[in-house]
Amino acid sequence: MTRFNRIKEITIGVLGILLSIVMIADTEFGYLTVTVLLSVMLIVYGLKCLAFYVTMARCMVGGQQMLYIGVIVLDLGLFTLTMLDVPKAYVMLYLLLGNAFTGLVSVLRGLEARRMSGAHWRVKLIQGIFFILVSVTCGIFVRSANILVYVFCAQLIYTSVMRIISASRQTAIVYVQ
Amino acid sequence: MNKDFHYFATYCAAQLAGYSHQESLDICYSAQFVDMCSRTLLATIKGPAAAATTQLQLELMSARTDVIGLQDITRIWSSFHFLPRDLYATRRLCTKMYLNKYRLICGPNGRLLSDTVELAAGKNLQAIGLAMHVLADTWAHRFFAGTPSLVINNTTQYFFEIMPDGSERKVRFRHSPSAPDDLDEGIYSSSIYQYGENSIMNLGHGRAGHLPDYGFARYKYMPAWAAYDEVIKDNPSDYLHAFAQMIYALKYLRGEVDVFETERYDFEAMEPYRERIESIILRRQADASADWQAFGESLSGQEIEDFDVGKYQPEYMDADEKHKDDTFLGRFILAALAQKSMVTNRIFKSGNLTAGFSVDFRENGLAGIRDFARLVSSMNLTGEEEDDQV
Repeated sequence: MTRFNRIKEITIGVLGILLSIVMIADTEFGYLTVTVLLSVMLIVYGLKCLAFYVTMARCMVGGQQMLYIGVIVLDLGLFTLTMLDVPKAYVMLYLLLGNAFTGLVSVLRGLEARRMSGAHWRVKLIQGIFFILVSVTCGIFVRSANILVYVFCAQLIYTSVMRIISASRQTAIVYVQ
Repeated sequence: MNKDFHYFATYCAAQLAGYSHQESLDICYSAQFVDMCSRTLLATIKGPAAAATTQLQLELMSARTDVIGLQDITRIWSSFHFLPRDLYATRRLCTKMYLNKYRLICGPNGRLLSDTVELAAGKNLQAIGLAMHVLADTWAHRFFAGTPSLVINNTTQYFFEIMPDGSERKVRFRHSPSAPDDLDEGIYSSSIYQYGENSIMNLGHGRAGHLPDYGFARYKYMPAWAAYDEVIKDNPSDYLHAFAQMIYALKYLRGEVDVFETERYDFEAMEPYRERIESIILRRQADASADWQAFGESLSGQEIEDFDVGKYQPEYMDADEKHKDDTFLGRFILAALAQKSMVTNRIFKSGNLTAGFSVDFRENGLAGIRDFARLVSSMNLTGEEEDDQV
């Protein structure tokens, strides 16, 4: 990783943690931020697809597909940004499904790792169970703005910490002649 | 390529190059072990994780595809299974970002192949076996890159198998990893289409299934990188060249040939057996192990034991720390570290960061993954020099 990338990753990680703390402290602001962030994520993804088309996919057989995907996702992101006042239940449902899917996949990977005598099957299994429990919590508190913000922030903090750890790792290969 | 070629055919090539039965066994064991030496296996024997030469499906599913994760994947697959042919290849009207992936496309007779074979020269049989794996795969895996990349490794619906009578049959792909390929019906398992550039589904020849690994297969398709040109992959010819080049490389490594040059093949040594070798390669079967084994046994007059992944593990695990490098797997691990170090360095030096950074020990000391300290000490760079640099 270049020095610039390291600094970028650590800065994004620290900003993510700070934002989470602010959102937890003020859940009204937190809820608004969650909805804005979800829309912004779609917009960013759409723009990334378009950038990917321009820089790489246009040289690829069938690469125009990336152009269409980029335009559609960007449009969807802009559309959702205009309707931030959606019922909390919908946003919670989004988190519920996302966590349930991640949890299920982790559990399946954990079980497969166990069958193959993999080294970290317990970690995967525990991760999976944790995400499923989060998903159940979302289901129970489907109308609670506080829980919605807490769940979102917990994930944001986890992702941010992982970014910082990843950026701090020693990863260069030593060349020995 | 599978066990049939990496293990049994490599044994045959070693025999034809003049190695003894036991030496041939050690070479082919090491060649096949490249497909086994995953982080999971290394964790079991408490070996250095950086020496991984492959990734299990399970490991790949859990692998992160952020910058660090992608570099790790690229180092493993480009160093041992998809050796890049030309790190300075050019293509008009393409960005540097695209070229960085394009230049990792695997192919035979590249500069890195000479470097790989020369790296094994004067070393042990484990290093030689490892080099033979890399060499053979440059033929089987040509046209694919050892990094996750949609723009390079993707394939389209335009995919036809060329049958022995010259007729063409559309290849049908299914996405069930556990289902065996149906060679009679032409139904093959492949990875599922994912439009993310760095999706693990777009690593190597996943999108083309196991077709590159079958010696008998001839097919034409439209690779993502080929600008809508049709590419014909002739595995029987490629496998024959791989075998002949292995004999030549092994003779060089035995000291029979002074210089290793690309585009050179020892067809002469295989001439008396050419018909038999061709018939093994052309036979429509998913696993040609039995045929290659019988051929190998007829060459040496000795029994070739089947590959046993656990054969040398107790020796490594029971050895004390000081003597681990003297064991069979210890020597293999050192050869793997050396190969990964060399290939990563060449890719890095070409201005391509897809495989990550390479730091020269002589200039920067061990400013990288600590597992490489083992390689440093094995090359007698210990003592004052190492102390100064660390």
